[in-house]
Amino acid sequence: MDAASYILSVAPAFMAYYLTSLGQGFFEKSGVLNLSIDGVFVLGIAVAYAASIYSCSPWVGLAAAVLTAVVFGMLLTYVTTKFPVSHGAAGLSIMFLGYGLAGLVGVAARNTYNEMVVSGIYPQFTLPVTPIAKVLMFAIPVGLGILLYLLEVRTKLGAAVRAVGEDPHAATSLGIDVLRVRLIAAALGYSLIGAGSAGFLTWVATWSEGTGINHGWIAYAVSLAAGRHPLLTVGTAGAFAILATYMYTLQAAYNLSPEIAKMIPFIVAIGAMVTFMSTPLRKKLAPPQSLGRRFFKEERTV
Amino acid sequence: MTLLKTYKKDFSSKNKPPVVSVVGISKKFPGSIALDGVDFTILEGEVHALLGENGAGKTTLVKILYGIYVPDRGEIYVRGRKAQINSPKEAIRQGIVMVSQVPQLIDKLTVAENLILGLEKYGFITRVGKVRYFIREKSREVGIEVDPDTEVWKLSYTQKQLVELLRALLLNAKVLLLDEAITFLPLIEKKKFYKFIRDFANKSGSVILITHKIYEALEVADRITVLRLGRVVGTVPRSKVSPDVVRKMMFAERSSQVTYERLPMSTPRESAALEISDLWVMGDHGDHAVRGVSLTLRAGEVMGIAGIAGNGQKELIQAIVGLRRVEKGRIRLYSEDITNRSVSKVRIRGVGYIPDQPAKYGLSLENSIEENLAMLPSLTNRLINWGSIRDLARKLIKEFNIMTPSPKTPVKFLSGGNIMKVLVSRELLVARRLLVAYNPTRALDEVTAIMVRKIIKEKASTEGIGVLVASEDLDEILQISDRIAVMNSGRVVRVFSSSEAVRDEIEKLMVM
Ligand SMILES: Nc1ncnc2c1ncn2[C@@H]1O[C@H](COP(=O)(O)OP(=O)(O)OP(=O)(O)O)[C@@H](O)[C@H]1O
Ligand SMILES: [Mg+2]
Repeated sequence: MDAASYILSVAPAFMAYYLTSLGQGFFEKSGVLNLSIDGVFVLGIAVAYAASIYSCSPWVGLAAAVLTAVVFGMLLTYVTTKFPVSHGAAGLSIMFLGYGLAGLVGVAARNTYNEMVVSGIYPQFTLPVTPIAKVLMFAIPVGLGILLYLLEVRTKLGAAVRAVGEDPHAATSLGIDVLRVRLIAAALGYSLIGAGSAGFLTWVATWSEGTGINHGWIAYAVSLAAGRHPLLTVGTAGAFAILATYMYTLQAAYNLSPEIAKMIPFIVAIGAMVTFMSTPLRKKLAPPQSLGRRFFKEERTV
Repeated sequence: MTLLKTYKKDFSSKNKPPVVSVVGISKKFPGSIALDGVDFTILEGEVHALLGENGAGKTTLVKILYGIYVPDRGEIYVRGRKAQINSPKEAIRQGIVMVSQVPQLIDKLTVAENLILGLEKYGFITRVGKVRYFIREKSREVGIEVDPDTEVWKLSYTQKQLVELLRALLLNAKVLLLDEAITFLPLIEKKKFYKFIRDFANKSGSVILITHKIYEALEVADRITVLRLGRVVGTVPRSKVSPDVVRKMMFAERSSQVTYERLPMSTPRESAALEISDLWVMGDHGDHAVRGVSLTLRAGEVMGIAGIAGNGQKELIQAIVGLRRVEKGRIRLYSEDITNRSVSKVRIRGVGYIPDQPAKYGLSLENSIEENLAMLPSLTNRLINWGSIRDLARKLIKEFNIMTPSPKTPVKFLSGGNIMKVLVSRELLVARRLLVAYNPTRALDEVTAIMVRKIIKEKASTEGIGVLVASEDLDEILQISDRIAVMNSGRVVRVFSSSEAVRDEIEKLMVM
């Protein structure tokens, strides 16, 4: 393999990690602690798989994954913003819901797939992986990342998302409808997470129960390691994608145990967080002040 | 107080239509009744002052008008029509805008970002840059200087309040709710705003002005409504009342405690409580905020620091208590060098500290009064004796008349002034050798403010503690100081003894 193809083979993993962590970071900027990511990511993979098979088009699969993720993201947002429930509990519940549904949807689709294969039809459930497609798997996500970054720092919506993440009470007083802004952030963030999960399916190119488990958390780590910054996330996602793509090669070369290899992303994430907290970036990359805090109007407590 | 005689005009309220009326409004919170059957009307083109002691229900009333709280009972009418104001967004639509007692701005956002959030004419995809010009223009119009691209955390308390006022104008407010928003503006800005408020009303805008300064109300308001324990004591036209009458309405028999006489000089001891020599301290913006200040404060002496906000007072005080690094120079506390010592090391030596933004840096709002006392190392040992803390809390609540359902209620549920009382009473308690304060009576009602000043003076003369008080309120400085240092651009430009201090001269040095 030449250098170019080494790089290109990282593309699907990059797309999966980058889009997912980009969406995660943006959504969490609105102040909702997102612990449902892994469950929804796993569900997104299963839905992409199933929808592709039933429709014979990976693009339908991609769209279905995006839609599903958005629904669950908005559900989490609604519940945590409208009612005084803990973000952690709601997030983890949705995570388990995602795991469960993924099994249901995926297993049924796999049976259909097997029947179709017997009758000579091979439905395509991965996105195209020609060299050009792989270049696009770098280019489009990075393009989206730049757009999202501009949205975040330049527009009223970006300011509103950061405002509700910092201090939802003050944001309300400034004239913002917190629920509405958080729902928009959820829709945008989770559509990226859904697209990321479809990218993951293309990368692993197979589905069995449990496919994708923990990779949602890795994407979370990718987002944290970059301080939720859309552009810095390109770097962390790239590094993690390389690591993941060549994990087995690395393991063989350095004789690492698989357990240690699996821990690497999280160790790197913690290391990166500690590192940037000790630099002037601290202020820019600090987590939203109200991340995970319950929000409801004061008097509803009465 | 002769600030704006020119704006005094007698406005008859007869022929002005009501803009907002509330009828029979009641609001209960757990453990307290904030409003109890309040009727209140604001007319078009009227400046209406809302007065009352700390905890009277003033903030609750304007928060209801701004859609932050929903009343338990009662109705609101806007221009004669019954209105449901369920959110600030709705209030803004009706032309009602509040400027809060504590600035409600997002620190990490720029001024422009904060201001665009309420502007409904701009959709979500609008570039923030688009309002920059609009902000510059409006701010010039009212004579406020703000850079739309500064992040709000870099602004002083006063600057934040100016931004909030600017916001109300950008939102095209017809009814302006000012919750102690102009009381602490520097004199020049304050004058500008008196004029601005008057013009605003003349152009048929309406203003509800909450203040603890009776003179301020008498200067700018057309009518005055006094609240007491959640009820309306009365509404009177300004032309028919004197300060004493208003004070009686507010405090009943306690009103006799109010005085603005210079408090008796204390007798400074020989020893120096605080020696500051050639002190240089950085500000938030990367340049020196304190530039070579040298001061000696004797034990038993009260020194006032006069100056317009942002001339280094805050940084000087933070450096003394160890909250800000000293670049150059020395600070000695009773001859002991405390330069660049940690806050806890300084505080444990009997130093009380009342900060600029009490709600932010002085107390933990989520915790109760008891817990806020127990937090201080000088009040507890390694083990907290909750019994004695409870007694102490009870004592302070009684002494300072702190309105709270119980010593265990989280402080965030108290009114602005009562939150301040918790802080001030605690710091007066722990100041065994030195008290440093910045605006120690901000947000306090007149009776309490004067009581605090008397206690400060008393502690200086009887216990011999040194007191350094910076305040933007020149009346306060003049009332309590034995000596007055005027700060301008990070330097002490002159030190007056209380007998030679002349108001005009001080003011001149402040703005020079
Ligand atoms: N969110 C809240 N939860 C519980 N109690 C509250 C809340 N807001 C206000 N209160 C109570 O209602 C009463 C009136 O408070 P309010 O803030 O309206 O007083 P205020 O007149 O503005 O006083 P101040 O001059 O001190 O600002 C107080 O006793 C306060 O403890
Ligand atoms: Mg108040």
